[in-house]
Formats: sequence, C-alpha cells, structure tokens
Amino acid sequence: MNEQIRFNLNGKDMEIQADPSMRLIDLLRDELRLTGTKEGCGEGECGACTVIIDGITANSCLVLISQIRDKKVTTIEALEQEALKKGDELHPIQQAFIDAGAVQCGFCTPGMVLSAKALLDHNSSPDENEIKRSISGNLCRCTGYKKIEKAIQIASDYMKKDGVE
Amino acid sequence: MKPSITIGKSELRIDAKDKVTGKAVYPSDIYLDNMVYGYTIRSTMPHAEIKVDKIEALAYPGVIAVFTAEDVTGENHHGVLFKDHEVFCSKKVRRVGEPIAFVVADTMDTARKAAKLVKVAYNELPAVLDPREAMKENSPKVHGDSNIIYHYKLRTGDIEEAFQKCEVVVENTYESSMVDHAFLQPEAGVAYIEEDGTVTIVTATQYPHYDREEVAEALGLPHNKIKILTSAVGGAFGGREDITVQIHLALAALKLGRPVKTTYTREESFQAHSKRHPLYMKYKTGALKDGTLYAMEAEIIGDSGAHASWAINVLRKAGVHAAGPYCIPNIKIDSYAVYTNNPFTGAMRGFGAAQVPMAHEQQIDEIARRLNINPIEIRLKNCFKVGSLTATGQTLEESVPLTDTIIKAAKEIGYEFSYDSNEEVQP
Repeated sequence: MNEQIRFNLNGKDMEIQADPSMRLIDLLRDELRLTGTKEGCGEGECGACTVIIDGITANSCLVLISQIRDKKVTTIEALEQEALKKGDELHPIQQAFIDAGAVQCGFCTPGMVLSAKALLDHNSSPDENEIKRSISGNLCRCTGYKKIEKAIQIASDYMKKDGVE
Repeated sequence: MKPSITIGKSELRIDAKDKVTGKAVYPSDIYLDNMVYGYTIRSTMPHAEIKVDKIEALAYPGVIAVFTAEDVTGENHHGVLFKDHEVFCSKKVRRVGEPIAFVVADTMDTARKAAKLVKVAYNELPAVLDPREAMKENSPKVHGDSNIIYHYKLRTGDIEEAFQKCEVVVENTYESSMVDHAFLQPEAGVAYIEEDGTVTIVTATQYPHYDREEVAEALGLPHNKIKILTSAVGGAFGGREDITVQIHLALAALKLGRPVKTTYTREESFQAHSKRHPLYMKYKTGALKDGTLYAMEAEIIGDSGAHASWAINVLRKAGVHAAGPYCIPNIKIDSYAVYTNNPFTGAMRGFGAAQVPMAHEQQIDEIARRLNINPIEIRLKNCFKVGSLTATGQTLEESVPLTDTIIKAAKEIGYEFSYDSNEEVQP
C-alpha cells in the first residue's frame, strides 16, 4: 500500500506516494531516473549503490524508502549541481578521480566518489588509513584501489585550495 | 621526424567525465517507452532430460510471452569456437544455470514471479564433475562421443634419457580453483526493432562483431538486420566474450515488436557467464647437480565445464607456458581441455597462462631446497635471456628483462642472494 513519504533529495524537498517497502535504489533509478546510482550485488557487499543519508554513507540497495522519511539523501547527481553553483564543471573530488587516473570501468566510481565526499565533508585532511577505511565498503573489481586512494588525497588538496572545507 | 603527439604524454580517458558524474550509460540505465522485461529460467540440475510446461505462467497477469527452444526462429545454438550452447535447452540440460526459457512481462518483478510457474520436469542423468573422470571411456558424455575437446602436445629433446642424468627429480600435483570474473556490473541489455526492421541490441559486450553473427544465426536473419551497440562496460576480464542476454533479448523484441530489457542479479550473473578454468597439473621436474634445470614433464587437465568457449586457446596457452620462463632442454607437455557438467569456463585474464606458475615455480623451489641452492640464484641461472631458445622453438632475440626483474624484486623484498653472470645456463 502506498504511503506519503517526505525527504530531501540533493537539496530539494520531495513528497512522494509510494510503497514504503520499495528499496531506495529502485526509487532513485526506476522512478526518478537518477541512474548514477549503480546496483552491483543487491546485498550490500559492493558499494556501487552508495548514497549519503544525513552525512553518512549507506548502501541504497539495503535501505527501504520508509527509512528515509525527513532525511537528506545525496546521490552522485548532487555533485554536479554543487560544482555548477561555484561555476565549475566538476566537483573537486570528481576532477581528482579523473586526474589521478582512478576511473576504469566506472561502475564503482559514483559510489567511490560519494564515499570520498562523506569522508572529506567531515575530515578535510585525512591520512592514508582514514582514506582506506572510507572506501572499505566499496569494491573495485578492476582493482584500481591505489589510484582511488591517490584521487581522494588529491581531492583533499583541491578542496582545501578551493576553500570548500 | 616529427615528435609524437601521443607517446610519452598522459591522455585523459575519453569516458572519464561521464563516469565520475554518473552519466555514463550502462545497459541497465536505459529506459524506453512501451518497454517490457525479461527474466531467464535456468537449469537447477547438472545433467538431465527436460520437459517444459509454460501454460500456467502464460496465464499469469502481466505476462506477455514465455520463449523456449521451440520459439527460436533460426539455429538454436551459439558459441565462440563450437556451437555447443543452446539458446534455450531443447531436450537436455548439461550444467546448472543453462537457460531454459525467457519470461517476458510488463515489469521485472512480474517476470520473476511468473518464472516460478514455468514447470520444468527433470529426468536426472548421471553427471560427470571431475575432468579426470570425464576423460575415461566409460564416463557420462556431455556432448557427442568423447569429452576430450583438445589435446596439445609439446616435445623437445629426450625426456627419458634426461631424467636419468638428473641429480634430483621432483614430482607433484597442483590444482587451481574455478574463479569468477565478478565484474561489478551484472549483465543487462535492451533490444528493440528500428523502423527499417533492424534488430538492435544494446549491451555491455567484449565482442560486438561476434555477437552480431551469433544473433543473426540464432534469429535466422541476415547480418545487416542485426545491430549491436556497445554501452559502457562495467568490467569484463574475459567474462563478456560469450553470449548471455543478446539472443534472448533480440528474439523477444523480434517476436513482440516492443523494446525488451533484462538485468541480471549478481546470482544470475554468476550462473550466466564463463569462469576461469580449474587446472589439474601433474609435474615432474629434474635438475643437474649444479642447479641446471634439465627435464620437465607435465600433464595439465583443464575443466571446460559444459561448453567449450575458448577451451582450445586456454589449454594451448597453459601448455605453451607450462615450463615457465626457463631454459629446459628436455620437455614433454600434454594439456587437455575436457567437458564436464560443471559451470563452463572460458576467457579470464591470462587465458591459461595464469594458472601454471603456481606449479612450475613451486617445482623450482623444491629443487632448490633439495640441492641446497638459493631459490633466487637457481632462477637467475636458468631464466630466459636474450638468445634463449624456448621449449616451443622460439629464439628470444631482444628485450628479455627477466634477470633485472628478478634481481630488483629480490632486493626490494630484502632476499639475500649472490649473482654471477658466468654461472648462467648459456643460451
């Protein structure tokens, strides 16, 4: 049975009528067509479906939409909006991923970028271990972890220069 | 000569921006008007005769069609080397996970639910799950009269005489495991019919040109009526070289005249595509008193599972690389690709070359131990250099940086050794 659910998606207040047992990833992809959120395993192992809910990363394949009432949900699509507001084409984390060569098949990339964002939003100068821990829930089967770690390090520098702390 | 504008320069990859913004289109990101969804019913038995009853599923609300072998308009087969996959199993299943039917419904959820109503009656047959058993004459046969797909032979020198001269002879067997590519993006695709009747399939594939041939043959249409569009590919590593979604989607779109989509779950993905060949490797390696590798005999049996896929290429490569990067003058290698009722194996990162080092390297370690020679030094003594002749008869004429690599790696890990180039086995 459908219920009314209010939440904030990428800075915009939303009010939807939907089955509260729907998975958040299905709402994002199938209903709202925000396909930047990827499904790799459907059981919270791979992190391709990572979103940020109230500042904390979550696997959107394990979140039911009844759990996002009155919460702030951030998907990969929000980063571009954030960049555009500053007159940039890309968010510094996204630019850092490109510059570090951290993008291969790309399927883990949106999730990796969001895990990096959740880290850098709280900690502008993470050390190597903090960076590793921040992406410990995200699998990259192309095994490009070293470059992804490097990208997050570079992103931290970019953001400090930008004053985006 | 003009300086190169590419070499020596770091280029930004063309698709990186789309990938970091989430805009890159993988097949599951495609949504079209009037689109319907397909779900594949797969075998739950390794070897059995089957009968399929789809009447109840067809009556389920929201179901549009259930396609089985009888609906295939062209040849009910595909396969990169041999046509030993059926589009849908007609009489027999040969492995767990083989496609039996494709249920098309108005939503993916409906297709999945209706799939449970397709009744598959199995008459179980004896299955063969070990390739060593499968090579025997009285084993159950997967296809035809013999399970042996391929036998590669390599012979150099006189192996019997050579072992007589050896100070040590080490004999061991090694087994490598079946591995899934587990590329992060599970198989998905969309097929639709264009205005001129062309059947277009959008999917993440490693082989659009092969796919086109396979789809055309299975549908019974000319090649120019089939178009394969490669979307962004979320990893592959060899696992997207064989057909998975392509023919099912194309057939459904052709029959229904509507766009058809499918997205596998991770579990279906594991069932649908190839694996890395498990190898059973029996090695006998002999060396002279001074550590010169002198003779090697190996029998390598690769489990191809229920379909050949690239079995010949993989087991040939395993055989070619079986002696490792070492000068060994007397060689006898036999490698076999063998059908079983296991999940099928095919291309995966290295194509057979990745499995054999665990055998040839451990053999050398054991020889070094028995002769009381430093394991780095025995490798430096025997490894390929410029001018070396390989077991397959190739003279390596340039760029063989193995000595430098071994020295550098040993130093990096702090392994003590001494090196005297005069002690090397001469090419």
